[in-house]
Amino acid sequence: MSNTPSSDTRSSDSLITTDVETGSNDRTAESRATAVATRDLNVYYGDEQAIDDVSMDIPENRVTALIGPSGCGKSTFLRCINRMNDMIEVCRVEGEVEFGGKNVYDADVDPVALRRRIGMVFQKPNPFPKSIRDNVAYGLKIQGFDGDVDERVEESLKGAALWDEVKDQLDSSGLDLSGGQQQRLCIARAIAPDPEVILMDEPTSALDPVAASKIEDLIDDLAEEYTVIIVTHNMQQAARISDRTAVFLTGGRLVEYDDTAKIFEDPEEQRVEDYITGKFG
Amino acid sequence: MTDSTESPDLQRRSGLTRLKEGTYGGLFAACAAITLLTTVAIIVTLLSDAVAFFSQVPITEFLTSTSWSPNPRGGGQTFGIVALVIGTLTVTITAAFVALPVGTLTAIYLSEYATSNARSILKPLLEILAGIPTVVYGYFALVYITPALKATLFPEMSTFNALSASLMVGIMTIPMVSSISEDAMSAVPDDLRQAGYGLGATKFEVSTGIVVPASISGIASSYILAVSRAIGETMIVVVAMGAQARMPTVGETVLGIPFINPADVLLDSGMTITVAMVQIAGGDLTGGTIPYDAMFALGLTLFVVTLVMNVLSDIIAERYREEY
Amino acid sequence: MATDTDTARIEGFGEVSRVRGIVFEYLSLGASVLGIFALAVLLIYVTIDAFDLAGTSPVWLLTYFVTLVVPFLAFCLYSARDREVTRRAVTVSGGGLVAVAAVFTAIETFVGQIPRLNWQLAYLFVVVAPLTGYLVYVGARGRPGAVGFGLVGRLIGGTAIGLAFSVLFLVFDERLWFLAYTIGIVPAALVYGYGRVRDVSVASAAAIPIAVLGVLVAVLLRPVVDVYPTTVFIYLWTLAIPIAAAGALLVNGRGNRTAALVAGGVPLALAVVIGLFGRAAGLGVGGPNALLVISVAGVPTAVYLHRVFDVGEGVTGLGVPVLLVGGALVGAFVVETFGIPTPNPWVSETFLTEAPSRNARDAGLYPAIVGSVIIIAMVAVFSFVLGVATSVFLEEYTADSGVIGALTRLLQINIANLAAVPSVVYGLLGLGLFANLLGFGFGTAVTVSLTLSLLILPITIISAQEAIRSVPDDLRRGSDAMGATRWQTTKNVVLPEAFPGILTGTILALGRAIGETAPLIMVGAATTVFSAPSSLFSKFSAMPMQIYAWANFPQEEFRYGVVAAGVITLLIILIGMNGTAILLRNRAERGT
Repeated sequence: MSNTPSSDTRSSDSLITTDVETGSNDRTAESRATAVATRDLNVYYGDEQAIDDVSMDIPENRVTALIGPSGCGKSTFLRCINRMNDMIEVCRVEGEVEFGGKNVYDADVDPVALRRRIGMVFQKPNPFPKSIRDNVAYGLKIQGFDGDVDERVEESLKGAALWDEVKDQLDSSGLDLSGGQQQRLCIARAIAPDPEVILMDEPTSALDPVAASKIEDLIDDLAEEYTVIIVTHNMQQAARISDRTAVFLTGGRLVEYDDTAKIFEDPEEQRVEDYITGKFG
Repeated sequence: MTDSTESPDLQRRSGLTRLKEGTYGGLFAACAAITLLTTVAIIVTLLSDAVAFFSQVPITEFLTSTSWSPNPRGGGQTFGIVALVIGTLTVTITAAFVALPVGTLTAIYLSEYATSNARSILKPLLEILAGIPTVVYGYFALVYITPALKATLFPEMSTFNALSASLMVGIMTIPMVSSISEDAMSAVPDDLRQAGYGLGATKFEVSTGIVVPASISGIASSYILAVSRAIGETMIVVVAMGAQARMPTVGETVLGIPFINPADVLLDSGMTITVAMVQIAGGDLTGGTIPYDAMFALGLTLFVVTLVMNVLSDIIAERYREEY
Repeated sequence: MATDTDTARIEGFGEVSRVRGIVFEYLSLGASVLGIFALAVLLIYVTIDAFDLAGTSPVWLLTYFVTLVVPFLAFCLYSARDREVTRRAVTVSGGGLVAVAAVFTAIETFVGQIPRLNWQLAYLFVVVAPLTGYLVYVGARGRPGAVGFGLVGRLIGGTAIGLAFSVLFLVFDERLWFLAYTIGIVPAALVYGYGRVRDVSVASAAAIPIAVLGVLVAVLLRPVVDVYPTTVFIYLWTLAIPIAAAGALLVNGRGNRTAALVAGGVPLALAVVIGLFGRAAGLGVGGPNALLVISVAGVPTAVYLHRVFDVGEGVTGLGVPVLLVGGALVGAFVVETFGIPTPNPWVSETFLTEAPSRNARDAGLYPAIVGSVIIIAMVAVFSFVLGVATSVFLEEYTADSGVIGALTRLLQINIANLAAVPSVVYGLLGLGLFANLLGFGFGTAVTVSLTLSLLILPITIISAQEAIRSVPDDLRRGSDAMGATRWQTTKNVVLPEAFPGILTGTILALGRAIGETAPLIMVGAATTVFSAPSSLFSKFSAMPMQIYAWANFPQEEFRYGVVAAGVITLLIILIGMNGTAILLRNRAERGT
């Protein structure tokens, strides 16, 4: 189920990446709008720089993978998009993260309102110790959703390919599910309020291979409706599921950002090739 | 899926929501502030009446006079804290003789020797010692310990005496020593123990020669806390020690040093600072009189002493936390 | 273990002396149990005195041992279903009998008389009591045991809570409560329920303002309205019916509508019948308090019974109350028939229901128990609210650095120091601030409970903080990422998870408050009051105060009788509270 690279490869503003010729894609061939863009993004933890001057445009309705060795800043980058880094006190962000043309770090942006439009799935499944129904309905509840909650819960669980497995036990605890089911429950929870972007921080690294492959299938489907940005440790996974891939190397530098096929077949940078072929990192 | 070309509205949060958030935050902060206010209120309450007291009774007399009689039948009141300090010291030191060694050994046993099963039974049982109401301990001392001691070891013991009360204070403070010391000992990294065993040390040598010295600041901090607790202990002494502020007779000198016979203080009744406060409270609470103010002067003394000890214990404990 | 000296012989490595080590190990073990042992001995003596066991005839002990204790232990063994445990229990009880009798006789012969103890009592305390504790623990692991103890716990706990409620209405105006409930709480609950069922969030959100408004209106109406239903009907309408409804809803949620009606309806009907007609029918019980107690104890019991039958395991455990009551009745019958002399315990019905008296046999603890219950209820409310709010602030609303961080650290240090301030100093605070400056009066319930609330506040806060801190950060981040505000995360995720821990900590802290005496003396609480308090501002006593007062009486009957009974009562209440707290904690730990 691997995707061939996207036809559109708008150049990011990064100096490092370069435009490459288009490939073919089974999704669409037309040019995609940008869902999230960063401009000269620098992030510091205290004195330490975690993200070094990253500018990139992330296309809408595509799966964009962020890969790189551990500590390269890819998770930090992900958490900048929905401002989860605000929770870390020593963290300081410079530059811009544009979401729909608005810099999310502008003074008038409420991070809570921002997060209501950007879903997030974490490394370790973290369902709340509530019933499956209440887990999925959580976002609706806190946002004061006035529609038919049950219908939305069903839709979301279907969207997360979990409905058939849990439809008879919606009132049992989310913690009773298996790890893979829990992670899909977390995905259902994330998509229930209908966000525009879904951030995934190594969503399969705590799961067994079978459960992981189900999530991968799901991510592919999700890209029909949502912009998915996924951090992964696993290069095969990035190759399988993403349309675009960004390679971060140490020091939080974005080294190369391009169509996935290009990155994996013919990277511009020697370092990226070394990393992908396992010579480094 | 929304069209993301239209600028998303990220800043809107209804005034109601923001008001709600702010209200909750403010309420919680206000409740937290109550703890600070409590401290302030304690200090202000104690100080205001203590100042009134010291305007009537010179502070030098308070600190040096050996006679405490706030409500004499006839004749002048005297407010000298020395006899009370001696009473308090008697109880504290005797209790420390029980609680410190027993508590330390308990901590060593729990941390080094006990199986996890034994630990899971012993620790809650020890906690019970600290959970028994102190008035009950006082009652035990008065009606069981004193008669038992009188019948066996000290026939000349009086009904109200410092010894039984102190023994009970000691037992009550054992868990305080043992739990904090055990925490400190458990915090000693296993590497150190392994190093000791590697050199062929026995378990005894590792426990006493490596673990205890390594956790000495934690142990010290637990000692100070236990002593501070003993100083402030009220009901055990009120019930079992009686209420006679006595100066011990300084007996013949031993090797040229003035000597107080311990039996003289231990087997007879006495009065601690806390007992003196309770005794005044039993009679006079409306305020404005010197004994009433004296209560607050005593309270202030107690508060300052225990506060200093707690801060000291904190500082020492902080050191062992830094070490590992 | 070898006791040889130093090192090497010719073959092998030789041995290092372990004598010191072994001596030290046993010394430290001895130290660990020293305090516990001393306390155990004292508790045994106070139990003997309180129940007048010293003068009890061995036949009386034997009768109840056979009719009550043995069947109960047998049940525990049956529940445990473990041959090894059974073997051990039989060995211990048999061997223990011989050992205790032998050791005891030896001491009596060679050392001297042990006062107020005979070998039968020694066997009871040294062997039977610990064995029973152990077998209850083991038996509770089997289904029948768990079911039986759960049932007994609900019956006893429900009765205790029901009695506590009826005590609260001695000082709290039930008519005001009636108005507040009818005008405020019922409409609010209806609106909230409507909002939940129809998914109208506005309605759910309006519930709290409606309740507050209703209560305010009730306070205003109270002096104006002067026609009220009788107390029985107030209890029925405001307490029994909602409790029964809650029980029925709970059962209904598990599936069965008929069972729900039965679980809610039967205890309610029983409560109403006994409450209204009990006295008239000559049952000896009746009136509003009976109605209250029966519904508070009955509904949870009925709900529990439904669950047990639903699960269908360990149903035999339901016989435990029958076993206990039956055993006691049979014992009484045997004692009666054969004219076995019965002890005259100091802890008795009159002791718990009568006022203090100069005459030891007439002396009772009732006003002091009432005082303690009212004080503890108020302290529970104050310290729980303040404790939770403060700990939420410290754990969820503060930062680690900057001005707020410094403030947090200051608060934290301050709380740690407050926890170590002697209780007698809190008494002075209460005296100076609440009694004299704010004029709440000397020794009134308000003064006493405010003082005690401040006293245990640091303990409550510290334990609540621990509970909140133990909620995994994953859950918070998950909620934050959904776009929850801080309060939403706290309310929906953190507090529900931390709640059992917070409750446990609060109950343990309340245990501290219920035994505090020195601050009560300082704020002028009465040592002895002869009638139960009738308002929050009347003179109060409390159990420890009464114990303190009696301990000063020189008569033997007071020293070794009445006070012992008071101590036992206080300790039983303490054990009940702490036991509940520990059960809650264990259940929460098992749940996650």
